[in-house]
Amino acid sequence: MRYLNKDIKTIHELLKNKTIKPIDLVNEAIERIENSTQNAYITLNKEEARKKAIELEGKEVDNILFGLPIAVKDNIITKDLLTTCGSHMLDNFIPIYDATIVEKIKDKNMIIIGKTNMDEFAMGSSSRTSYFGAPRNPWNEEKISGGSSGGSASTIANRDVLFALGSDTGGSIRQPASYTGIVGMKPTYGRISRYGLVAFASSLDQIGPMTKNVYENALLLNAIVGEDEKDLTSARKPEEDFTRYIGKEINGMKIAVPNYLMSDIVSSEIKDSIKETIEMLKKEGAIVEYVDVKYLENAVTLYQIIAMGEASSNLARFDGIRFGHSCENPKDVEELYYETRREGFGDEVKRRIMVGSYLLSGENAKDYYNKALSIRDDMKKEFENTFKNYDLIIGPTTTTTAYNITDPMDDPLKSFMDDVLVIPVNMAGLPGLNIPVGFDKNHMPIGMQIIGNAFEEAKIYQLASFIENKLNLELNPNGGEE
Amino acid sequence: MSNYIPTIGVEVHVELKTKTKIFSPSINGYGQMANSLTNVVDLGYPGTLPTLNKEVFNLAIKAATVLNCKIRREMHFDRKNYFYPDNPKNYQITQARTPIGYDGYVEIEVDGKTKKIEIEEMHIEEDTCKSTHRGTKTLLDFNRAGVPLIEIVTKPCISSSTEAKLYLEKLKELLYYCDISDCKMEEGSMRADANVSIRKSEKDPFGTKVEIKNIGSISNVGVSIEKEISRQEKLLENGEAFKEQTRRYDDKLGDTVLMRVKETGNDYRYFPEPDIPFIYITDEMIENVKSTIPMLPNERVKKYIEKGIPKVNAEKLIQNRMLSDYLNSILDSNINFKIAANLLLGDISAYLNKEETVLNKTTLTTERFIDLVNLMDNETLTSKNLKDILNKVMESNDSIENIIKESGVQNITDDSAIKETVKKIINENPKSVQDYKEGHDRAVKFLMGQIMKETKGSVNPKMAMDILIQELNI
Repeated sequence: MRYLNKDIKTIHELLKNKTIKPIDLVNEAIERIENSTQNAYITLNKEEARKKAIELEGKEVDNILFGLPIAVKDNIITKDLLTTCGSHMLDNFIPIYDATIVEKIKDKNMIIIGKTNMDEFAMGSSSRTSYFGAPRNPWNEEKISGGSSGGSASTIANRDVLFALGSDTGGSIRQPASYTGIVGMKPTYGRISRYGLVAFASSLDQIGPMTKNVYENALLLNAIVGEDEKDLTSARKPEEDFTRYIGKEINGMKIAVPNYLMSDIVSSEIKDSIKETIEMLKKEGAIVEYVDVKYLENAVTLYQIIAMGEASSNLARFDGIRFGHSCENPKDVEELYYETRREGFGDEVKRRIMVGSYLLSGENAKDYYNKALSIRDDMKKEFENTFKNYDLIIGPTTTTTAYNITDPMDDPLKSFMDDVLVIPVNMAGLPGLNIPVGFDKNHMPIGMQIIGNAFEEAKIYQLASFIENKLNLELNPNGGEE
Repeated sequence: MSNYIPTIGVEVHVELKTKTKIFSPSINGYGQMANSLTNVVDLGYPGTLPTLNKEVFNLAIKAATVLNCKIRREMHFDRKNYFYPDNPKNYQITQARTPIGYDGYVEIEVDGKTKKIEIEEMHIEEDTCKSTHRGTKTLLDFNRAGVPLIEIVTKPCISSSTEAKLYLEKLKELLYYCDISDCKMEEGSMRADANVSIRKSEKDPFGTKVEIKNIGSISNVGVSIEKEISRQEKLLENGEAFKEQTRRYDDKLGDTVLMRVKETGNDYRYFPEPDIPFIYITDEMIENVKSTIPMLPNERVKKYIEKGIPKVNAEKLIQNRMLSDYLNSILDSNINFKIAANLLLGDISAYLNKEETVLNKTTLTTERFIDLVNLMDNETLTSKNLKDILNKVMESNDSIENIIKESGVQNITDDSAIKETVKKIINENPKSVQDYKEGHDRAVKFLMGQIMKETKGSVNPKMAMDILIQELNI
């Protein structure tokens, strides 16, 4: 009997009336993951998950997330559970503390089923820079599942578990969600504590929920938000229920479509699909208008400067002294640094550290990093102005659908162009979500991005669930298997 | 005499006396078991983020205030990126672009003249961990990692090793009096680097700069600057050029030793720390801090002199903050402060040193101290007799008057008793009496000595003298 392809309300009822126990869900997930060829996980938390499930049998089913397995991206620190960041550098790293978000999901009595595959240190957009090999797309295993949260996207699309955590620095939740036909939310910067998220680009990184539908996404967000005294960049906000607008009409909602997001950089198949959705929304009473949002075309350049600059500094701590990989028999400390980092990091990570170091060197910091920060402020203001007149912004999430795993990786810029539509949202610190809106001719999913004003995730969920309902797409890649 | 003018700038790192570290809740402590005062943040563990200890800002504002600095109202932290084993994240969180204090000064007195040592800037940063080299191995103790520091940088306005030493002494005194830091150079809670260059004339551009790092004491700052000046002079006299370099002072050699030559400027790839939002200092914060600043040493000396304490004693008093604070707490009382100062610096200090204790652990409350001063002032108690009862004064709760009575050391102020003794001495020393009558003043001194000897010092000297003169002139 399959349970993990069902919706949360059904499973919660079954748990509550004791038709099933958490261990049934854990066993189902483990069996599925072990028999899967998706390579979605770096570490499966088999024994601990089972132990925890048995433990929960004595406890009351006290919240809707109780007893449910969750997959955690492998750049989120989990106590006593290997946390590799998809890197050889940390392939022996067993942390001694829990990320704040991990404490939160443990408080809800969720069960960590494993750590998902990802681009090395979240640097990439196809998860192919992972030291552990690329995860695969359940819609077509020849295809990438996107990145950097490719493993989380893959396991959700495959209906192994209901919930997964990803992280999004420049689209790393929304882009793989789009490629695999799932719902992925990057919340407002500061919404979720970053304490325990291994930093890539500190001013951009944000953890977010990845699920098969909108309602489950909002439920998981409910459980993981909140100010954290351990993260000074986390925001103090009143408690809210992110599901509260789900099911509400969108009559009169004002929606902007930035012309840049619908320009020639996007494949016509995707544009057509988005246009169809726009027509549907108009018919349902939404006011959808095409607008110009300045600086969007600069976002990738700004991103490269800011993200790589910060990354070069954030990744300096991997030096072989206190944790992680350490080269053998270095003759002095210099050699320890060189060899540890030469052996431990993959090519893409090295490339970004080098570019980032260059960008911060000497006068470059003034010419590049500081200038980028200032243009970024202008871009934020431009978004703010747009939100004075519109409730939400929509557009495609990606320029193409998922491509082949065997496609060449020799063009470093390609990986950034994959994310050209999602990066502006990180630059402005805004919330953005991917919702599936259709399929291309090869039946690979197409995603739409919904962008909200800061801290207006609930409004995003309102529109997303409306679209989800109206389109009523078959989003299980295994179709009628069950 | 030298043909060169030295130009010296001093950079001082001071560890702030906070309960916890600057970016983590670990305890800020010295002398504990290695790596016992650490957590994942101090170790630079992946995923960790800095928090911010507000106490640091209070102490930094206090320091900026007493160093006469302007205080910046909006500031951020920066990352200083460099690889070194004592630097756990391989970047140090510091304030490169927005130091909390700037444009300050400290006044020193050189050869009776006041000179302002100008302070360029003062910023907050975290300390590194402590490395100990053992043969081919290096041991790391992260207890110090993340201890809050302020770095105080002077302008190149110091012109001698003496000025440098006076500046450091003054700085230490100010920071110590305000409870900003322990300022113990031997424990590393205060560390000084000196930048030294020389040139022939004020009109010449500055000479090549040499930095002397981590000098262990104020006197060694003086020695190392002197050594460095003469080293540079010799080189220039021999026509030898030298490169900008960093040296350290070697205590055993008593000289500076080359550490590294600066080929190019260090590239620390500074950028604003993204994990810590901007910090805003309000008027209210500054006012609150100012109200906690105690009377500063200069003002104390002035006050003491006003109260009749000789300058030399006033200056001695502020070198012992415990004594000075004690005296300050009774500054409003109407007593003989000269006697009070003598007592504190003399018998009381000796007692405290001998017993290895501090004033507030003795029974000498300020009330009892005031009684003591008054009883000496009206000569009921002589300083010689005090020595006999000192232990009781410091250790019992009995009133000073009672102690004096019970010990029988009361000063002889009874006229007839003194007269009797004086007569006895005069009768025993006819030669001296003769001398006196012939106009030899020293005879009086001799006779007074005999009287004191006879009474074992318990006679009121002024009264004895009066009676002696009276009797001699009969």
